[in-house]
Amino acid sequence: MLLANLAMEATGPVCFRNQPVPQELVLELLNHAVWAPNDGLREPWRFIFVDHRNADRMVGLQEPAPAYLIVVMKEEADRYKREEDFAAVSCLMQNLELLAPEKGLGIRRTLNEWRYDRQRAGTFGVLGNEWIAGVLELGYAEQVPGRPAADSRPELRFELL
Amino acid sequence: MSLAELIRERRSIRKFNSTPVAEELVVELLQTAVQLLPSSAGVPWRCVYAGTPESRKRLADYMLQTVSHSRLGKLIPDKMLEVFKKRFMDIPAHVVVLAGTGPDPLASERNYAAVCSILQNFQLLGWERGLGMLWDTEAMIQNEGLFQGIGMRADERFVGILHVGYYNKAPRGRKRTPAEKKWTVFQG
Ligand SMILES: Cc1cc2nc3c(=O)[nH]c(=O)nc-3n(C[C@H](O)[C@H](O)[C@H](O)COP(=O)(O)O)c2cc1C
Repeated sequence: MLLANLAMEATGPVCFRNQPVPQELVLELLNHAVWAPNDGLREPWRFIFVDHRNADRMVGLQEPAPAYLIVVMKEEADRYKREEDFAAVSCLMQNLELLAPEKGLGIRRTLNEWRYDRQRAGTFGVLGNEWIAGVLELGYAEQVPGRPAADSRPELRFELL
Repeated sequence: MSLAELIRERRSIRKFNSTPVAEELVVELLQTAVQLLPSSAGVPWRCVYAGTPESRKRLADYMLQTVSHSRLGKLIPDKMLEVFKKRFMDIPAHVVVLAGTGPDPLASERNYAAVCSILQNFQLLGWERGLGMLWDTEAMIQNEGLFQGIGMRADERFVGILHVGYYNKAPRGRKRTPAEKKWTVFQG
């Protein structure tokens, strides 16, 4: 399918079925997603998978979900590299979101306040020289009534130099 | 081409041919790129487009005016700056992309990530139509001359310049590390 056509498909809010997400599926999708552009081929990402057995550890931090993928990036000292790395990891997460629906998987990408809580992040294995770039709430998607396909023009501020 | 193939086969393009790029196509792809985000409403961002010879020259001049006046720039021979400028002006189109900051650092990071995701969609949608791009964030181009020239505001963050054009040959992809090597299962 053309990616351009995917944009026309109605999507509603993602609701999850109460069913575990196998790590093999997430890895399969990730191995496509890692083809994201990334400056200097630094591949600045790392993944921490929290499956259904430990999903309750996210209570109070995240919305309930069958599984979570914590996507972390290494913190570069150089300001430019830091921004480029966050950009690259964002591209990777976007790839994953584009691929997920084909497998019936729903993804809610979040970035919450607790990324700044070093101790909290540490309990999940995020290292001192790493930052959470996003926490993906994962689950098989419940059929949800879609919103009417793009009723309003998306916002785009496009100016000529 | 499946989505997975599209994602794997997209390449950064550094050498463009002279086929012109239609401004309408760029706008269409950018709009679709936004639509592909699950919640794109309210993401503050802005694109400044240079797609005519005249505007490309202006963009190059903005960038170079700081470089040639800087200490580093004085060490760079004029000839090299000219070569740089010509290469830049020969590329059919440039999209300068800015993300709005937010009321706090977290909001700002979220906006930045959303805009980067839009740009990934944009690159993929372009690839599907035979358009190549390079996302450029070289430190050298991120200078006052450029920022002033495009009217970047204090509440905006520079995301990059996307160079856009058609290409004759795509480079070979450089292998990625398997996700398994960067994977940890939280053990509680
Ligand atoms: C945020 C970002 C900034 C980048 N900046 C540059 C750059 O300044 N110069 C450059 O040659 N490539 C840049 N790239 C492209 C990467 O070099 C390229 O993605 C990487 O080499 C992998 O190649 P591929 O995109 O063909 O898979 C950038 C990529 C990203 C995501």
